[in-house]
Amino acid sequence: MRVGSLLSLVRINLQREIRSVSFSAFGVALGVGSLVFFVSLGLGVEKVIREKLFAVDQLLVEVAPAAISLGSFGTPMNQSVIDRLSALPEVAAVFRKMNVRVPAMSRYDSDFFGSPLRMRLEILAVGVDPGLLKRDVQLGDFTDPPVDQPIPGVISSRVLEIYNKSFAPTRNLPQLSGHLVVGFTFPVEFNSSIVVPSSRGSPIRSQVQVVGLSDRALLAGITIPLASAIRINRAGLVDAETFSGATLVAKRADLVPIIVAEAKKMGLKIDDQERRLAESVGLAVTLTTSALALLSILICVLAAANIAQTLFASVRARAKEIGIMQSVGASRTDIRSIILTEAAAIGLAGGACGTLVALGLAHLADRLSGSYLPVFPFKPESFFSSPWSVLLGGVGLGVVAAVLGAYAPSRRAAATDPAQTLSD
Amino acid sequence: MISAHRLFKSYAGIHKAEVRVLEGLDLEVAEGEFVAVIGPSGSGKSTLLHILGGLDVHYDGQVEVAGTQLRGLSDRRLARFRNRLVGFVFQSFHLVPNLRVFQNVLLPAFFGGDSIGTSDQRRAEELLERLGLLAKRDRVPSQLSGGERQRVAIARALLRRPLVLLCDEPTGNLDLQTGDEIIGLFRQLHREGLTVLAVTHEERISGAAGRVLKLQGGVLVNSHDPQELER
Repeated sequence: MRVGSLLSLVRINLQREIRSVSFSAFGVALGVGSLVFFVSLGLGVEKVIREKLFAVDQLLVEVAPAAISLGSFGTPMNQSVIDRLSALPEVAAVFRKMNVRVPAMSRYDSDFFGSPLRMRLEILAVGVDPGLLKRDVQLGDFTDPPVDQPIPGVISSRVLEIYNKSFAPTRNLPQLSGHLVVGFTFPVEFNSSIVVPSSRGSPIRSQVQVVGLSDRALLAGITIPLASAIRINRAGLVDAETFSGATLVAKRADLVPIIVAEAKKMGLKIDDQERRLAESVGLAVTLTTSALALLSILICVLAAANIAQTLFASVRARAKEIGIMQSVGASRTDIRSIILTEAAAIGLAGGACGTLVALGLAHLADRLSGSYLPVFPFKPESFFSSPWSVLLGGVGLGVVAAVLGAYAPSRRAAATDPAQTLSD
Repeated sequence: MISAHRLFKSYAGIHKAEVRVLEGLDLEVAEGEFVAVIGPSGSGKSTLLHILGGLDVHYDGQVEVAGTQLRGLSDRRLARFRNRLVGFVFQSFHLVPNLRVFQNVLLPAFFGGDSIGTSDQRRAEELLERLGLLAKRDRVPSQLSGGERQRVAIARALLRRPLVLLCDEPTGNLDLQTGDEIIGLFRQLHREGLTVLAVTHEERISGAAGRVLKLQGGVLVNSHDPQELER
């Protein structure tokens, strides 16, 4: 039996039973629609977590000296340790980090993008090898400048998001874009604090100019060139020899565990708090999504059961018709194909409708959230992510569920004894 | 054209008692013959027809129709045999209710293994025109009279140019005049060279047949000249 002939017969049969067909397709649409909706929601939220909230680079490994404990001083991270890390064959690059070990504060009393701002703020700062932030620096060189020049600083892109969505609205300050922030200069006093008085040395008055935003920058502070941090630490008479940590870049993501093991062997600790947090939140989202997806699949199973019941009734009612088709040349395979194709068509229609409705609801939910949900940090433009694989998978699931539901009825139809059904 | 040798057929009746309907039946029908098989109700006429047409495969014995040995044929080959070599005409017409007249006639072409082409459609139109139904090609069976329905069934049976026409009480549900018209049609088809085997208990058909066989006790026991039977 040719496909064209098969489809013609199926179309005629479906048109005749349009009511029960519509009901069966509705069941499939409900299951597939809810599955596509929830999976898209899960993927969307996961995307926000992965790309905005915890932008963890899979190739990066953060190492730090082990914490000092009783009877042990851990492994200080000096240049020889850095050299050993660089020599690991799995490591593509090592970027050193050194905290500014003296307190720092900013006294800002000036115009802030059109609004007057008076503020005292304790500041954390870390110095890094310039290569770590190379791709994110938008203004000048990320190197230690002459003493009378502002120190280039990179701020976390997440801090800007928190400022825009949380800090600025409550203090009537202007919203800032990344481009606007780059070039902004503010005063910083190193070796000075509004909380604790400095014990050694005199304050180092300087300025910091924002030269870029980066996910790799310190979240609650500023990231400056390593040479600047060393200079400030020396001036503050604190340790300017050992590093606070290092960022290792793996050659491939699958080599990360090996690097972690090697670093641990050297007595270093792995600072993967953010990665673990991202994984925990991601896992929670995945679990919730999976539970909802499972519920949706259950609806699809019920839809398949409904299709099975409908087709069983249909096959019983059409026994004579099946006998007639057999008498004019239909084989058992032909009969089975007709029933399965009918089910596939129901599944396809239900799956496509369900997917379209899910997309429509997702769009509506995004619009409603845009209009009615208050602005908050990392609020995405869309809570949904619907890649083609999810959409096609949804439609495919509808077809598979319907065909599975039709399997037993199709076998029963194919087993019809024409001699019996056509006996007058 | 039709050859059956030592056909046995039985089925489970009331209280699972075995009912034997065919008991070593032999039958030979030559090409172009019009043979009527008569017998009382329940004598096994329809069963015989179903076996000869490849609809019933649960029997013992040998059957050859239009050069095809039916015993042991796969379901696919048996379906092809029914599609290409034989045509069925039933007492209750057995048209598909939701298909229009034209689609009913065209139904065997759906299972022919080739795409339905213009030649199939032209053949269906020719048959409908010959049987006086072309004007009703877009009606559904429920909008036709009994005689018209049977003519549609005959057109369907002839679509694939079968070598054998198997008729099961073809006038059983028709009034006298319409029945005579249908019998006239069979005569005409027989004159054109078609082999016709009709099972019936109506003497009208046996009168039109070239040879009449009587099914009794599971075998074809009497063979009469139609005129002799009428006498």
